[in-house]
Amino acid sequence: MALNPTEPKWSLRLPADCSIAAIRNVYELIREAFGRQERLEIDCSSVDKADVTSIQLLLSTARTGEAQGRPVVLTSFSQSLRNTLRRAGFASEAMIDQHFPQKKDGV
Amino acid sequence: MSAIDPTEIFRQEASELFEVLEGALLDLGLRPDDRELVDSAFRALHTIKGSGAMFGFDKVASFTHEFETAFDRVRKGEIKPTQELISVALAAKDYIRALIEDPQSTDDVIGDAILDDLRRFVSSDQPVAPVAEIAEAPPLAPGESNQAGWHLYLEFESHVLRNGSNPLDLLEDLCKLGPCFVVPVTDGIPFLDELEPDDCYLKWDVKLHAACDKDAIDDVFMFVQDEMKLTLSPLEQIEAPPPMPLFQLLDEEPVPMAEMRALVVEAAAPVAAPPAAKAEPKSESNPEPKPESKRDDRGIATVRVQAERLDELMDRVGELVIAQARLTQLAASGSDLSIKMIAEEIERLASSLRDTTIGARMVPIGSLFGRFRRLIHDLSRDLSKPVEFVTTGEDTELDKTMIECLADPLVHLIRNAIDHGIEDTATRSANGKTEQGRIELAAVHSGAQVLVTVKDNGGGLNTARIRAKAEEQGLIAAGAVLTDHEIHQFLFHPGFSTAQTISALSGRGVGMDVVKRTIENMRGTIDLSTRPGQGTTVTLRLPLTLAIIEGLLIRVGEGRYIIPLSAVEECVELTADDERSRGRNFLNVRGNLVPFLRLREIMTASGAPDRHQKTIIISTGESRVGLVVDQIIGNHQTVIKSLSKLHSDVTIFSGATILGDGTAALILDVAQLVALAQSKIEKQHISEAA
Repeated sequence: MALNPTEPKWSLRLPADCSIAAIRNVYELIREAFGRQERLEIDCSSVDKADVTSIQLLLSTARTGEAQGRPVVLTSFSQSLRNTLRRAGFASEAMIDQHFPQKKDGV
Repeated sequence: MSAIDPTEIFRQEASELFEVLEGALLDLGLRPDDRELVDSAFRALHTIKGSGAMFGFDKVASFTHEFETAFDRVRKGEIKPTQELISVALAAKDYIRALIEDPQSTDDVIGDAILDDLRRFVSSDQPVAPVAEIAEAPPLAPGESNQAGWHLYLEFESHVLRNGSNPLDLLEDLCKLGPCFVVPVTDGIPFLDELEPDDCYLKWDVKLHAACDKDAIDDVFMFVQDEMKLTLSPLEQIEAPPPMPLFQLLDEEPVPMAEMRALVVEAAAPVAAPPAAKAEPKSESNPEPKPESKRDDRGIATVRVQAERLDELMDRVGELVIAQARLTQLAASGSDLSIKMIAEEIERLASSLRDTTIGARMVPIGSLFGRFRRLIHDLSRDLSKPVEFVTTGEDTELDKTMIECLADPLVHLIRNAIDHGIEDTATRSANGKTEQGRIELAAVHSGAQVLVTVKDNGGGLNTARIRAKAEEQGLIAAGAVLTDHEIHQFLFHPGFSTAQTISALSGRGVGMDVVKRTIENMRGTIDLSTRPGQGTTVTLRLPLTLAIIEGLLIRVGEGRYIIPLSAVEECVELTADDERSRGRNFLNVRGNLVPFLRLREIMTASGAPDRHQKTIIISTGESRVGLVVDQIIGNHQTVIKSLSKLHSDVTIFSGATILGDGTAALILDVAQLVALAQSKIEKQHISEAA
C-alpha cells in the first residue's frame, strides 16, 4: 500500500490483502488518508483478496466522502475485487457505478 | 497487559470445536440416522474451515474443505455413516488438529491418504438410507407445491464474519438451487467513524426462481441459522423471465459488462426495507426467531479467561483468607466492638469471595468424560470387544486443576476395564451375557466430595489369582486370613499384575499404584468392589477443590492440626470405659466397633493429656476410624500450602496452612491415617492369634 503525495491528487493504493484478516489495517489507512486529503483517490488495482468487509469499507468510504462533500474516487478495480462485487450481488456496471464513485478511465 | 495472540484464540476455539466434532462423529456411529448430529459435525467443520482461513491456516482450510466435500453425501442423507467411515472421519479430525497444533508433525501424504479413504468410503456403493428415512422433511403446505420459487431476505448478525462464516459462499450455495437474483441492501453501512471493519452490515434481498422445498434452503444456512435472520416467502408468480444464474455467469468469466447489464432485470436501486416489514400474512420466517436482545445477552454471557489468572486469583483469595483469620483473632482478643463488627463483616465477605472464586474455577466433568469416548471407540475396535459407553453426571463440577489431574488415572482405569474386565464376545456369549460389554463412567456429588465411578459388566476380579500372585511375590504368607477386600488392595501394590500376557495396553503392573498415588495426592481415595461374573466398580472420592477447604482445627499437646471437614463424620467424647481399654483400641459407637488412633502417640506429644479426650470419627469410603485428640477448636477455612520436598516422606500430612496468629498447622492425610489404623489392627490380630 502506498500514499503518493507527489501526484496532483493524493492517491492511496490498496494492499493486495483487503480481506477480513487485514481489513483493520486497511481501514486505518483509509481513515488516515481521509483525514489528510481534501480529495482522495483510491487505487484498487492491487487488490488480490477481497470479501464482504472490503466491499463494506469501500461503500462506507464513498458514503462518508459524499456526506462531507469531499470527493472520493475509486480507480482500477482489480478482477478479484470485481468478482467479489459480483458475488455480493453488484452484478451490473450500473449498480457498481451507483455505489462506488469511479474514475471512468481507471475502470 | 500483553496483547492476545489471535492465532492462539483460534487454537483454543478449534480445540473446543474438535471436541464437538469428535462427540458428534462418535454419536453418529451409534445413531446413524440422527440428522442433528450430522449438522452438528458439519457446523464444527465449517467453523474450523472458515476460522482457519481467516487466521492464515490455509492448509487447515483446504483440508477441511475437502473433508466437508467428501462427507457431503452423508449430509445429504445419500449414504449412512458406517463405523469404517466414522473411523476415517476421526482420523481426518486428528489430522486437522495436528495441522493446527503441530504442523511440523504432519505430512501431506498422510492427509491425502485420509482424504482418499474418505472419498472411497463415501463413493462406494453402501446401502443407501431408506427413502422413508431420508424424506424427513415435512410435506409442503397446500398451495406451496406449485410455487415458482422463493423470496428471501438475509440479515446476518454483526459478528458473523468474525466467526469465519462468509455470506458470499452462502449466496453461491443458494444460487446452486436454481436461478437466483441477488440484490445487496446497503442502507445499513455506517460512515467511516462508526464502522467496525469486521462487522457485517450488508443484507441481501434474493429471488430464487426454483421450485425447491424449504428444507433445501434451510440446509444452505444451517451453519449460521443461529446467527442470522432469514425471512422466506413463496414467490407468487414469475413477474419477469428468470435471470440467468449469477454464479453460472461467474464461472464463465470474464463476462462483458454490457451483457451483464442486459441480464439484470430489476432496477439496481437498493431495497429500502426488508420484505418482512410488510408483514405479509403468508410470509414464513425462520422457526421462532429469537429476539435480538436475547441474542445480544448471550454474546456477553461468557468470558474467556486465561487459566493462570484464575490460579492467581485463587492465590490472592487464599492470602486474603489468612489475613482475615489474623484480623478475626486480633479483634477477638481486644474489646473494641466496632473492630469486632468489621472483622465479622470481612470474614463474611472473604467467605463469599472464596466461594465465588472456587465456583469460577469449577468445570463440568463432562468435558473430561468426552475424551474417553474416543479412547473406548479405538480400544473396542483394536481388541474386537464391542463396548457400550455410558456416562452420567456430566454436569457435576470439579475444580479445573482436579479435572486435569484426573485424566490420566481414568485412562488407566478404562483401559484396564476393557482389556481385563470385559470378556471377549465368545466368553460373554458362553456365560449368557450380551456380546456387547458395557462401561459406565459416572460422577455425583456426595457432600463436599465428588464420587467418580468406573463400572464394567465384565468378569469381575479373580480373587484367587490375585491372592496366589500376592503369595508368589511374598506380599502375604501362604494361608494368611484376609478378606476379599484386603486381597483386592494388592492390585494397588507397585509392580503387581495378574495378567498372564503383557499387551500394549496393560499387564505390566504399572498403573494401578500410580492411579492410587495420583488420587491420594489429590486428597482423594480409591476403592474397588467386584462381583464375580458381573463386573467391577472402581470408586474415586475426590474433594471439590485443591486450593481451600473447610477444616476442623484440633489440638494435640501443643500442636494444632487440621482435619478436612469432608472426612469428619461425628465427634464423640472418649468415655472412661474407652480410656480403660488400652491395648484394645476400639470404640463402641452405637453398637458398632470403630478402631481409634491416639494422635498424642502418633505425634509423640509431650505434657499431660487433657482430662476429657475427644474422638473424631473420620471415614474414607467404607472404613471408619476414630482420632483421639486433646481439644476440638472449631471450623477453619483452610488455605492449603504444599509441604516442602524435605517433608515428602511424611505420609500422614497432606499439607500445611497458616492460622490466624501466624503460626502453621499441619493438615492430616485422612486416607493415610485410616491405612495406619488398619495396619495396627492387623498387627493386633496377628499378635492375638499368636
